[in-house]
Amino acid sequence: MKDSQKQKKSGKRSLISIFKEGDIFSKLSFIIWGLGNIVRGQIAKGLIFLAIEVGYLYYMIQGGFQALANMVSLGTKEQGMVYNEQIGIYETVSGDNSMLILLYGVATLVATCVVLAAGYVSIRSGDLARRLKLQNKEVPNLAEDIKMLFNSHIHRLFLAIPAVGLLVFTVTPLIYMILIAFTNYDASHQPPGNLFDWVGLTNFFKLFGAADTLSATFWPVFAWTIIWGFAATFSCYFGGMFLAMLINSKGIRGKKVWRTLFVLTMAIPSFISLLVVSTMLGDRGIINILLQQWGFTTQSLPFLTNELWAKCTIIVVNLWIGVPVTMLMTTGILMNIPAELYESAKIDGANAFVSFIKITLPYMWFITTPYLIANLIGNFNNFGVIYFLTGGGPLSLDYYKGAGKTDLLVTWLYKLTKDSKDYNLAATIGIVIFIVSAVASLISYSRSNALKNEEGFQ
Amino acid sequence: MNRTVNGLNLKYFKVAFIASILSILSFALPFASVGGKSYWSLGILPDLLGADEAGGMKVIFLLSVIATAAAILLAFANLAKPSVLLTRLWIAACALQTFGDMVTMFGTKGMADRAGIFGDAFLVKNFGAGFWIGLAAAFVSLYFTMKIAKVNPGYIVLVILAVIWLFPILWILLTSFRAEQGYYVGYFIPKGFTLDNYLNLFKSDSVIPFARWWMNTFIVAIVCCVLNTIIILATAYVLSRTRFSGRVTIMKIMLIIGMFPGFMSMIAVYNILKGMGLAQNLVALIVVGVAGAAMGYQVCKGFFDTIPRSLDEAAIIDGATRWDIFVHVIVPLAKPMIIYTMLTSFLDPWSDYIFPSMLFGDKQASYTVAVGLYWLTDFRRIETYYTQFAAGSIMVALPIVILFVFLQKYYVEGLSGSVKG
Repeated sequence: MKDSQKQKKSGKRSLISIFKEGDIFSKLSFIIWGLGNIVRGQIAKGLIFLAIEVGYLYYMIQGGFQALANMVSLGTKEQGMVYNEQIGIYETVSGDNSMLILLYGVATLVATCVVLAAGYVSIRSGDLARRLKLQNKEVPNLAEDIKMLFNSHIHRLFLAIPAVGLLVFTVTPLIYMILIAFTNYDASHQPPGNLFDWVGLTNFFKLFGAADTLSATFWPVFAWTIIWGFAATFSCYFGGMFLAMLINSKGIRGKKVWRTLFVLTMAIPSFISLLVVSTMLGDRGIINILLQQWGFTTQSLPFLTNELWAKCTIIVVNLWIGVPVTMLMTTGILMNIPAELYESAKIDGANAFVSFIKITLPYMWFITTPYLIANLIGNFNNFGVIYFLTGGGPLSLDYYKGAGKTDLLVTWLYKLTKDSKDYNLAATIGIVIFIVSAVASLISYSRSNALKNEEGFQ
Repeated sequence: MNRTVNGLNLKYFKVAFIASILSILSFALPFASVGGKSYWSLGILPDLLGADEAGGMKVIFLLSVIATAAAILLAFANLAKPSVLLTRLWIAACALQTFGDMVTMFGTKGMADRAGIFGDAFLVKNFGAGFWIGLAAAFVSLYFTMKIAKVNPGYIVLVILAVIWLFPILWILLTSFRAEQGYYVGYFIPKGFTLDNYLNLFKSDSVIPFARWWMNTFIVAIVCCVLNTIIILATAYVLSRTRFSGRVTIMKIMLIIGMFPGFMSMIAVYNILKGMGLAQNLVALIVVGVAGAAMGYQVCKGFFDTIPRSLDEAAIIDGATRWDIFVHVIVPLAKPMIIYTMLTSFLDPWSDYIFPSMLFGDKQASYTVAVGLYWLTDFRRIETYYTQFAAGSIMVALPIVILFVFLQKYYVEGLSGSVKG
């Protein structure tokens, strides 16, 4: 008993020590889940565990094992025409559906993990009941267990729905899609008509290397994604900071009115403002018309149809959307900078520019680094601005079908999924995006760790 | 200028004075040269004023000249006897002059071409040194007169930025009331105003089921707003204020999941929904929204982390359960955060495009506003429906803008919470 108390203090008990210490029921509960609970009076709880186990085994025998086994081949029987002698015509005979096979397989895998976790919980819970009995303490009954859900076990209650939701609608689809990156599930291998199969790393090789239209598309799109991310983040950052400082500066009256005026543009859902601006910038849109009427140009400017113009237009229009956001965010932080810093700088003869470089910028940089990196990742994945403004255009013949000169990795991913149905490529690009985001986050993480060790901004 | 005058900073007087002189001198330089022929500013002014169209423009041309003259007079008056009132008048004259010069830049072509003053078509690049020096001098004198009177010259930049920022909004607002249909019109201000664009959107026999789209989005937004907020609060509470094994692992897993582009797996989600019999159904949007809601817990958790832990401990000593603490201690304290969370989860469905577009395909009755309005800007429809698209955009944007302006404070709090996060 002393030993078990020590164990309890030291934290989690391993399954092995549970097995070693336990009596026959505890040992049996490794095979028959819930037994440990049932013999100690927690009948309902034990039966629930048992039901989970039985249900799982039933499912696996019914089709679960088959689903897992099918994942190896992803189906063998292709859909085809077979002559039916009785009626005397060719009939379509449905074949295997690789897509569903893979989906069922992944779902079974996830379900297995969840059930194994339940089994682990059942063994530990049985062991806990045994130890409580040994200590002559009351073993909680079902009602008390439920009460505990509202107190010491509240995390189980509160995380149940999010956990199920994330498992079904995020984790399972994500694993499925990651696996798709290693198949040839493209436009010419569409179930149910065709099968698709595992191809290993072929998609990655096609995308990264080789003289192929795919890699000729991937690298420029990738480069533009990076350039765009930095340009968009920092232009909005400095623009917003400038605007915030302008409105904050001494002698500007009606600060609230000015702020609200810019916030107005931010409150409008961005897809609306982007669509509107996109129609305004068209060949015969109002901006081109006005520029001609005012005599700035004699012919329409290719705001969205020339590669270089389109790239610049996107960055400028993004300023229109992003500057108010940064303005709103930095306003509060800027006001927190101690005024004495500026005063003493002024006495030392620093002008406005120098005190911006020496005081404001380092301070802001210090506070907002995590935000900047989050923003950078957000901009790498900024679907809206590109899709609603240019739709990725202007299209290019050098590129893989449908991709355009201003496409980011995400918009290309969207097009590959929705328009050309090259799911394998889409999945591969998704993994690339993940890697880019992960690297950026790691940098951010290590930076913020380094900063935590400092004394703070001085 | 060494005389000191209360409330004036005469350090900048010299520059402002020279700029004002310069702007009157610029009248002596060529205003424009078209087809190799130079024109003198005051020389073509009578022609411009004589043009038989567009009254407003004439007034502004005249104003520009008068303001320039007034500015130089006030400059001399200030030289003789500087005073706050005279300087303020000087600023006003400079502002009018700047405004007039800007309008001249945009309006000269319209006036001159109609009146046939230059013979050839006029372009902005035809403006001569006189005009450009005048414009620059106007800005410089405005800037420095403001400096003299200790008025923040930031107003100049703010006004220019405000015009740029409001331009698209004004355009779509005007278009939504435009009586003439069509996308390609050659003017900014509509010739006729009407409410028909709005009324047509909500007519029961309308080709575009906008009312339906709006209601679809509204229902999804309201349901998501309530459910997502509850889930986010609960998740953030548990991850912030309780300790249990696996807590850090859960947060790490969520972090990693969050780095994948969300819609990468939408085809799989679509198939799962289809298996549940929910495809092409609004419920699907709600289900998917709620299922992923927990991912947005960070901002809220950051807020909960700042609430002193001693509050919980005191409550526990008083016999409160974790549930009681959540309901009676944390939630009342988190009001700003709750409003922020509700606001963002209410707003998200309005601009969510990717998933609904994937889900509903061409089933227009189920569209949300984002998908519907994008559908309207297709090149086959834009000509017919552009004014209705504008009206629809206003109908979507207006409630959100009102909501946003009122709840701005909470939004900023949440936003700055996420900065530090």
